Amino acid sequence: MASTTFRVFRYQPDSGDLATYHQDFSLDHEEKTTILDALLRIQNEQDGTLAVRYSCRSAICGSCACKVNGKTVLACMTQVEEAKAESGSDTLQVDPIGNFAPIKDLVVDMTPFWEKFKAVKPYLIPDGPAPQKERLVPKSAMEKVAKESACILCAACYSECNSLAADPEFVGPAAFAWGYRFAADERDSQRKNRAKLYSGQHGVWDCTRCMFCNERCPKGVDPRDAIEKLGAIAFQEKVTKDKGARHAKAFLISMRTGGKLNEQLVGGYTDPVGGAFNAPLALRMLQKGKLPASPLTHRVKNRDQVTKLIKNVKETI
Amino acid sequence: MREHDVVVVGAGLAGMRAAIAAHEAGVDVALVTKLHPVRSHSGAAQGGINAALGNETEDSTDNHTFDTVKGADYIGDQDAIEILCERAPLEVYQLEHWGAVFSRQEDSGKIAQRPFGGAGFPRTCYAADLTGLVILHTLYTVCVKYDIPTYEEWFVTDLVTDDSGNAVGVVAYDMIHGKIETIGAKAVVMATGGAGRVYRPSTNAHASTGDAMSLALRKGVPLKDMEFMQFHPTTLAANGVLVTEGARGEGGYLLNKDGDRFMSKYAPNKLELASRDVVSRAEATEIQEGRGIDGCVLLDLRHLGRDRIMERLPQIRELAIAFAGTDPIEEPIPIRPGAHYHMGGVHVDNWGAAPHMPGLFAAGECSCVSVHGANRLGGNSLLEAVVFGARAGEASAAYAQEAPAPKVPTNAADETQARIEELLSRENGPRQAEIRDELATVMQEKVGVFREDATLREAKATVDNLRQQFQGVVVDDKGKTFNTDLIHTIETGYLLDLADCMVTGAIARHESRGAHSRTDFPDRDDENWMKHTLAYLDDGEIRLDYSPVTMTKYEPQVRSY
Repeated sequence: MASTTFRVFRYQPDSGDLATYHQDFSLDHEEKTTILDALLRIQNEQDGTLAVRYSCRSAICGSCACKVNGKTVLACMTQVEEAKAESGSDTLQVDPIGNFAPIKDLVVDMTPFWEKFKAVKPYLIPDGPAPQKERLVPKSAMEKVAKESACILCAACYSECNSLAADPEFVGPAAFAWGYRFAADERDSQRKNRAKLYSGQHGVWDCTRCMFCNERCPKGVDPRDAIEKLGAIAFQEKVTKDKGARHAKAFLISMRTGGKLNEQLVGGYTDPVGGAFNAPLALRMLQKGKLPASPLTHRVKNRDQVTKLIKNVKETI
Repeated sequence: MREHDVVVVGAGLAGMRAAIAAHEAGVDVALVTKLHPVRSHSGAAQGGINAALGNETEDSTDNHTFDTVKGADYIGDQDAIEILCERAPLEVYQLEHWGAVFSRQEDSGKIAQRPFGGAGFPRTCYAADLTGLVILHTLYTVCVKYDIPTYEEWFVTDLVTDDSGNAVGVVAYDMIHGKIETIGAKAVVMATGGAGRVYRPSTNAHASTGDAMSLALRKGVPLKDMEFMQFHPTTLAANGVLVTEGARGEGGYLLNKDGDRFMSKYAPNKLELASRDVVSRAEATEIQEGRGIDGCVLLDLRHLGRDRIMERLPQIRELAIAFAGTDPIEEPIPIRPGAHYHMGGVHVDNWGAAPHMPGLFAAGECSCVSVHGANRLGGNSLLEAVVFGARAGEASAAYAQEAPAPKVPTNAADETQARIEELLSRENGPRQAEIRDELATVMQEKVGVFREDATLREAKATVDNLRQQFQGVVVDDKGKTFNTDLIHTIETGYLLDLADCMVTGAIARHESRGAHSRTDFPDRDDENWMKHTLAYLDDGEIRLDYSPVTMTKYEPQVRSY
């Protein structure tokens, strides 16, 4: 047997009090107990008003994402004792997922999540009528989208997303994983249109590449990788007008020519018009040594190795 | 009041397939679900969906039909099984056309098929071990494309009927906004899934509380073949989580504590791929006779090798590591039989229509057509959900197109509101969790893999007692918003109804057939028991009646694997 204190986020709008707070619940439990089992025991034995979403308790329905000691997990898949060992404390703080408005306790308003999901046109749009039997698809082509197909839409990635925290309109990791799942499906006819749809404002180029979505996805979907692959598809489809795409392109040119980053070139290429209005920033960068006075100083010694690297990366996409 | 031509309750495979079919037929259809559609338990189905595509070896609809008839232990309706197996390839192709990511054959690019229990040929189409998830998602994407209105997190509390007893809508609790509303309709399709939570352990989700069955039963609709609960042979000891039959389909062994592949004693031809009732009984016998390990036997996948496990069974590995602390690449998984699938359900015909209530349809696990009879074959549940979901959608749309405007009683929601207010006003009494725990425990112990008269009657007494206690049940949460305590309490009432039907049916059936195995009546008795059980609720008591089984061309034979 083990004993744990659960410091649970509470928000009970029905009480008339709109304040949020944390409440401690002590629980004696078996060593092998998941966070979800513990929450349900608290609900059943101590406080029936505790609200939490859950269903399958086998890590497939995607209902029970929450934060345990600040880290987003699926409650049903996380062992209490393991979480305690990680934090070195007998108290576990349980909070709702981040980046969403609370409805009651651990239940949040998922409406924006589903709206963004729908915004990526998450359905197959094939060309022409379907054949009588199945479409023939090489095994390897189907496996290309297997990882993204395992997304359970639990929103753990949205909970951790730094771009979303800065821009609530950012489409976000799971929706883009789904976007990639269709853009890369060889049965779909909308590759270019999808590249355009996903590249605009709040689109793939707004990802800050913090990698938290990859880190915290409980199903190994790696949404950041999907966003990266959508970027590559945008280039293949020549959808490169977006500022973000230009920035990436400038990066590549800079790497090819000098073997390292040339801020002057990147800034100018990304936003030739807006960049001119940013003279004060350029001046400050110059003062801090972030902006070399001459592009010629920007050349590494073993540039051929960088070229090799670029080639390798290209081949893997 | 909200109104649609057709309202579908439940948004898993059967519900969404029905809604899509009704939408395509041109009627205004809406989905109502107590979860979000993608949270439905269809998504937890792992191994696959059967269709005689013949992609791996020669196969035919007749083979599929025969295997299903035999798997059902001859109590499935053969005309319905023929419909199921004939439409199977069409539905699988349809899912593929809608974008389902099925695993493919190496060279041809056709849909790959794997062997499954009780099947004569490799017939089970799959997407690794995420088949349910992939199909659930595919249907949801179609619902998004069609923009089918969906009442998400609306918990249905009542089936509404008019003065003549026709189904004309539902009353539901909008959990987010804390309101109770009536949704009127010309036809209602019930597709709320199984009632596995009557048992513990169970492979089923917490939400699998058989809502539709109880809602229909309380309005005078009979439930069919309720005594037949399938125990899946491979569930994790810790929490009853499912390990797909695909693990054995891919070549996994079952071992006892001496390391023997014990299935050779029980099913010398099909071994691990005998039908589920046979394998579960074999395991239970091994465990009872002292050849288990801590109440389990072992599922050994090691010889499949890392690559095959990672490609075909990735989720199984993840679940075994998370819940059993076992990596199947390195060591065998301890498993045991667990409640999994309920063959019984709302009594409906081949179109999913309830003969006892015009306007009511049902599809998927909450219904009983019956195609699974006394034992369902692995890979046939997803199939039934899409085939009979589609048919119920088509039939309900046709019905709605002919039906006059529904006469929905204006006070339907008020009655529900009053009932809930009374429930919330109670202060002292038992809570739902205590009642639910005791119910699930007694069902597991006394209405399990093996059954006998004395213990079944003890179970019945406990169910009666719990029904009594439930009259005074108390809800802790008195609020309106997302009141899960209230929902669980109402669900517990559903579970009690259904458990009562299961036990009562099991006491009466004096034979062993499929998943219903009586130690005091060990043989199948075709002379007296080749019939469906119908359970009615009369003045709070379960009354049984019986109806004939439809046979076409398959005469009952001795069933061995």
